[in-house]
Amino acid sequence: MKWRRLNNVLHRDVGYLIVGLTLVFGVSGLALNHAADWNPSYRQTQTVVQIAPLTGSNRDALVAEALQKLAITGTPLNAFRPDPDTLQLFFEGRTYLVDTPTGTVIIEDTRPRPVLFELNQMHLNASKGLWTVLSDLYAVALIMMALTGMFILRGSVGLAGRGKWLVAVGALIPIGYWAYTLFR
Amino acid sequence: MRRVVMVAVMVACAAVAVTMAAQEKKFGAALTLTEVTKVSDIYANPEKFSGKRVQVQGPIVDVCAMMGCWLALGSDKEFETIRFKVEDGVIVFPMSVKGKNAKVEGIISVETLTVAQQIAQGEEHAKEQKTTFDRKTVTGPKVGIQIKGEGAIVF
Repeated sequence: MKWRRLNNVLHRDVGYLIVGLTLVFGVSGLALNHAADWNPSYRQTQTVVQIAPLTGSNRDALVAEALQKLAITGTPLNAFRPDPDTLQLFFEGRTYLVDTPTGTVIIEDTRPRPVLFELNQMHLNASKGLWTVLSDLYAVALIMMALTGMFILRGSVGLAGRGKWLVAVGALIPIGYWAYTLFR
Repeated sequence: MRRVVMVAVMVACAAVAVTMAAQEKKFGAALTLTEVTKVSDIYANPEKFSGKRVQVQGPIVDVCAMMGCWLALGSDKEFETIRFKVEDGVIVFPMSVKGKNAKVEGIISVETLTVAQQIAQGEEHAKEQKTTFDRKTVTGPKVGIQIKGEGAIVF
């Protein structure tokens, strides 16, 4: 098999193999890029309810009083007082922030965003282990795709033709941005 | 009969061990210290612990909602928390750990935070939590203590 044919076969078949991973990293990359503007992994909602002010003199008394006034029958995972006027009650996926002097309660619910949460976990390599190996292989495959991609076509539309100019422009994007960050 | 009972006990013990292991979740490097330091002791004498490796235990009262890169642990004393900060991407804590207990290990970092730094941190945190931050709560420089995190066990 001639080298160009091998190159094209590799580009085609590796390309097919990494479609799924490219979608995972592409979609999650878009989501995570804008993490400053929204939470890409979780949907968080807040509800405010009003109960009578809490009068307990210690944490345990305050917890019992809050549970009773909020009509909660379950036992919290934990309870904590970050400051003298606030009581936090933690349940699976839900936190109650009670302002003890006023009785104002903020209920925070946190739920993973369907699909996007899993994609983002993969992008951030949260699980490590095997996923580190798979994402390393994906990175190598991407490098291979870039290199083999340059040699698919010949002539005026190949690397010897306009290809070299497009490669140069593409390479100038990160170099130019790096230079911009140095002098801005 | 005796053999059957022994096997049943062993199976039960294994089941309990598996269940307990499933309830525990490890993040990052394995914990190496055997002694747990009280958060209140660190706050009482930050300079003594600055740069030292410690293991701390407490309830997880807050989690970085964006990237899972820090936890806030409640102290053994009320009104006191300590931040366990990991390098971005090294550990990603899910929000589901909030409210659970954690045993964490890392190096204590002590630094004086200027008013501007405290306001910036407060506003960033408020943005994450979709709440508001009152700048008036910052009255002057304060000593900031955090643990540069390496490993954690959540249970």
